[in-house]
Amino acid sequence: MQSKFSDIELIEQTLQGNQAAYADLVKRHQRFVFTLAMRFTKTREDAEEVAQDSFIKAYRSLQNFQGQSKFSTWLYSIVYTTAMTFLRKRRLDTSSIDDENNHLQLENQSGGFKNDLAENKSRSYYVNQAIEQLLPDDAMIITLFYKGEQSLEEIALTLGIEPNNVKVKLFRARQRLRERLERNLKHEVSELI
Amino acid sequence: MNSIEEKLWNYLDGSCTPQEHETISQLIATDQTYQQKHQELLAFNQELENMELDAPPMAFTYNVMEAIRTEEASKPLKANIDHRIIKAIAAFFIGTIAVLLILALANSHADNVHETVQIPVKVQLPTLTNYISAPVMKGFLFFDVVLALFLFDGYLRKKHTTVS
Repeated sequence: MQSKFSDIELIEQTLQGNQAAYADLVKRHQRFVFTLAMRFTKTREDAEEVAQDSFIKAYRSLQNFQGQSKFSTWLYSIVYTTAMTFLRKRRLDTSSIDDENNHLQLENQSGGFKNDLAENKSRSYYVNQAIEQLLPDDAMIITLFYKGEQSLEEIALTLGIEPNNVKVKLFRARQRLRERLERNLKHEVSELI
Repeated sequence: MNSIEEKLWNYLDGSCTPQEHETISQLIATDQTYQQKHQELLAFNQELENMELDAPPMAFTYNVMEAIRTEEASKPLKANIDHRIIKAIAAFFIGTIAVLLILALANSHADNVHETVQIPVKVQLPTLTNYISAPVMKGFLFFDVVLALFLFDGYLRKKHTTVS
């Protein structure tokens, strides 16, 4: 059940020592934070780790939250930096294993693709699939804009870039997504034939 | 922002000026190309708005709060250690050692202080110069260099972990 309190009220209660208030904040934002993390990590296990780290970091620096922006904007900027750090670290640590993993993931993906052919998939499935195949930055910007209730200015704050830059990036990300979606659907049709 | 697509996206996002909005509205109403593209983008926009969010595991909130609780629990332990307690323990041990020392000195025979201690067997102390030859010195220095490199490597690894 969602809390009746606003984000700011829950933050104030948390700062007064009420941990249950922070649990309500986590419950409220966890789906979106997890989705954002998934855009970067591509696996549920890693996304869970990034999302959990982000909430812990947010808790630690909650007293630094000035309230000048929305809590969600502030939280998403933490998710963004946590996910970037995670990816950088993983690239450094396991670059050789990554190649192998990617290969396996691609194999699994195509396997899943064929297995799912018989199912009646919704259009939303294909959109999500195409988003997963985008670059993390493109996927994140689209998710923030459409599902995060974030304006171009707020996305700019989250990503630490200019609003005009966000506009251009969003345009390009949507273009790439449409291309990817069309390609996937064409592939699906040819598989059926 | 020149292409039809860019203009239409600005129109759909509501990020164009009222004047631009008016112009694009008219173009959609009159121009077939604009009309077709607008319908296309509108449908795509709708799909994006309808996309679903991924759901985290059921225990996600619990796991986050558990991690926070563990962190919070370890904090007071670090912060609440009173330095006076540490000082009292140190004073107790120093006091005990001092008392034992005094007692030991008091119980020793003061009369025997001036007597010289005779060692029953004549002990010959080894002369160090017999053992410190050039190869031994070289080996010792080599070992030192290896040890220094090992410690330096450890320090760099620790620094790298802290930075990342």
